[in-house]
Amino acid sequence: MGISRRDFLKGGIGLYASLSVGDIFSLAAQAAPRPSTSKILVVVQLAGGNDGLNMVVPYADDAYYKARPTIGIKQKDVLQLNQAVGLHNGMPELSDLFKKGKLAVLQGVGYPEPSRSHFRSIEIWQTAEPRKVKDTGWLGRYLDLTAPAKSDPSETFFPAINVDPILPKTLSAQKVIVPSVSNVADFTFKADPKNEQDRLAQIDAFNGIYKDFKLDRKYVDQLRLVGMDTTSASDYLNKIVQNYKSTANYPNDGFGKGLKFIAQMIVGGVNCKIYNITLGGFDTHTNEGRNQDQLLRRLSTGLSAFQQDLEAHNKDSDVVVMTFSEFGRRVAENGGRGTDHGTAAPMLVLGSGIKGGVIGDHPSLTSLEDGDLKYKMDFRTVYATILDRWLAADSKAVLGDKFDQIPLFV
Amino acid sequence: MHSKIDEYWIEHLMRRAGFGSTPDELKYYKNLGFEASVDELTSPEKVKNDKLDDILSKQDFDFTDMGDAKRWWIYRMSYSRRPLEEKMALFWHGHFATSNAKVGNPFLMYQQNELFRRNGLGDFQQMLVEVSKDPAMIIWLDNQQNRKGKPNENYAREIMELFTMGIGNYTEADIKEAARAFTGWAAPSTYYFNKKQHDDGEKTFLGQKGNFNGEDICKILADKPATAKYISKKLIAFLSHDDPDEATVERISDVYLSNNRSIRAVTKAILLDKTFRSSKAYHGKIKSPVELVVGTVKSLQVQKLDGDLSALMARMGQNLFEPPNVKGWDGGMAWIATDTMMERFNYAARISTQKFDTADGYINPTKLAKNYNVTNASEMVDNLLAALVDGDVPANTRKKLLAYVSSDLSDQDHGHHAKKMDAASNTSDHDKHSNGKDASNIADHDKHSNGKDALNIADHDKHSNGKDAPNIIASAPGAKQPFGPPSKQGPPSPTGKNLDVKMRGLIHLIMTLPSYQLS
Repeated sequence: MGISRRDFLKGGIGLYASLSVGDIFSLAAQAAPRPSTSKILVVVQLAGGNDGLNMVVPYADDAYYKARPTIGIKQKDVLQLNQAVGLHNGMPELSDLFKKGKLAVLQGVGYPEPSRSHFRSIEIWQTAEPRKVKDTGWLGRYLDLTAPAKSDPSETFFPAINVDPILPKTLSAQKVIVPSVSNVADFTFKADPKNEQDRLAQIDAFNGIYKDFKLDRKYVDQLRLVGMDTTSASDYLNKIVQNYKSTANYPNDGFGKGLKFIAQMIVGGVNCKIYNITLGGFDTHTNEGRNQDQLLRRLSTGLSAFQQDLEAHNKDSDVVVMTFSEFGRRVAENGGRGTDHGTAAPMLVLGSGIKGGVIGDHPSLTSLEDGDLKYKMDFRTVYATILDRWLAADSKAVLGDKFDQIPLFV
Repeated sequence: MHSKIDEYWIEHLMRRAGFGSTPDELKYYKNLGFEASVDELTSPEKVKNDKLDDILSKQDFDFTDMGDAKRWWIYRMSYSRRPLEEKMALFWHGHFATSNAKVGNPFLMYQQNELFRRNGLGDFQQMLVEVSKDPAMIIWLDNQQNRKGKPNENYAREIMELFTMGIGNYTEADIKEAARAFTGWAAPSTYYFNKKQHDDGEKTFLGQKGNFNGEDICKILADKPATAKYISKKLIAFLSHDDPDEATVERISDVYLSNNRSIRAVTKAILLDKTFRSSKAYHGKIKSPVELVVGTVKSLQVQKLDGDLSALMARMGQNLFEPPNVKGWDGGMAWIATDTMMERFNYAARISTQKFDTADGYINPTKLAKNYNVTNASEMVDNLLAALVDGDVPANTRKKLLAYVSSDLSDQDHGHHAKKMDAASNTSDHDKHSNGKDASNIADHDKHSNGKDALNIADHDKHSNGKDAPNIIASAPGAKQPFGPPSKQGPPSPTGKNLDVKMRGLIHLIMTLPSYQLS
């Protein structure tokens, strides 16, 4: 096939219309040479501050029930992981995956001098920099460091894909632009359907104008780059999605649909190593029981459908899912059957290529700092392990420091 | 007498202190001049709004319905003669960002919106007290559950972190103490002081001791220099330019502190500040989805609003009454990602195609061409560029648009059904749109219009005075293209069916330009 990667990228919108599905797939493979690792990371952000103590319940500790007389998860309901902790009763699917060795539960993850502000703390997790405000995200820096040397900015076609409406700081980078796509059905360039000839003339004009649009105004360069990425990504992703079939049963909500879309892209062979998706609503100051229960059920059913889908397509050993939240919540419940902002909390890591199990010790429920848990594991050790062991990157270059590794991989 | 520069900056002023303008509004404010326009905009209570009241009274809004409440607000933003009043309501909605996703009560959201309109240019202290007692806010940040002996810290934290001073100006202990002061401030449906649940003991808050209640906390916070700076900085970024420097923030926050926290004084100072009329501010911000959608409605003089405009805004990343979290919308490049950009492109396609199908209430290409005094293809491109993006595009963009407009439909066949267009035979087809209802609708809208010329091109000629115009204009190709007598050399204007299609296509393309995303 006589189309080079450069032609493919320069073609912009309209090019794919003339290609067969087979062409598209070989183009996808050709679009960038596979880097040394084909491993993929899916980051799941649990926004709002997920109450770790009610997700991974220290059911054997009386102090837990003393601190949470109304919202504590009853011992008999807990899905036991070991002698000390168990999962919330709304997470049977993840409990099964734990038994199969595909789920790791990392306990007491946090960082020194924790911030209880949603916005500052999420920024710390996203940038991996607790000491000062930083512009780039940890995965953004990873993308910058691994971006192939290039003359054309569109060479980094799909460095990562964000499935949320807003790009999280995790993926803020200096060199690469990360596309956001949350609804592939609306992700097509439209023009007057009654005038096909004119539609093509418009597309020509659009591509021509964007190619060299230069104006001395703030934001114009960024707008131009995103505009070009938008139109070239659109046809490509639409083709990929058309050719995907699945029997996995995703929950019919935004989170489930987002996970399904990620599976479609992975199965379709999109050359992208990082995906980001958010499940929000964890800021449970009141009526935590009902609210968190619903969210954890969505998390558990969604992630297990995703895992099942990847297994059915033989992609499961290429993919690791990692969850995090800006903070856990205070040990003691408040007056509204909820919990206020706290500190350390567990992270979940899922995948066929990891070593499952409970990793690390649970923080003490009685030796507290300002009513909050003292963290046991620095979140940057988790990032470092994933960068070095999974993405075959240099964690020190990304994180600015050398961190210990945790036993997450065999 | 008003200079050309004045006129030029008035378009900028209307994008920032409002949502852009219709050609007639522009004419009105240009006549008034810059400073008098700022005076009028910052004193909305003195401006009669009967046209809007009339439009609203014909709609049967049910404020217990979220869709209706959104529609109501979009009508206000589109047709109010007090644009800054609506712009400030939008600012405060983003500042005290409350979401119906949790409140679950559209009527309370509507009431909160009226609170923002009432206090939008008033004393910030009064605003803060009223917001603290606002039922939607009480539900949103859980003050309902903030009880004596069992405090809930949510409101106490956010009032300091996001609503007044900003992070770094208080301790965790201040949060705990402020939470005690707000105990018992409940809102089953309206604000209600639950004395039994109020902790009236002594508190130590930001270094002061006293038996503070919530109002005391609001008063202490509203007078803090940190609050003056925080609010000033946010307002400068909203109205003028992103990332203002320290000196500018200082200048504006002094106005806040020396005028009893008057937001009217602050707003006026920002609009009259030297930085407002600078190249840094001009086209230096990205339009929010609300600004993009409402601004388009205004500049294309759409008279009939679709019920789903709010859904379009939501897909572009700004869902009215449902901000993403208590921090509100970040703005700037956060508006721009591949999917929200695609939504902007889709909106351009929709406005430029379907909207023309209905003769009643919407514009049509033939009428537009007439309004813009188009006699040849260059004028078509230049006049629409001037109207939609101030002519602020690179020269080669203008050339490519001209090539698009001048290309014959029958020449563009790319292997699809070839169809020779006979312009003459199609004339009658478009003629029926060029008179009748539309015209009267458009003229009807603006009380300043005498009805006979919707847009006077001569008035639009801000670029012709190159030497004393701000230097930023010099780079715009419009500067070299004053609208004089029609050029004899220019390619002929498309006619008939061609004109209809090309006008649509041209508007579509201009709306997808980077320039169109700028405010």
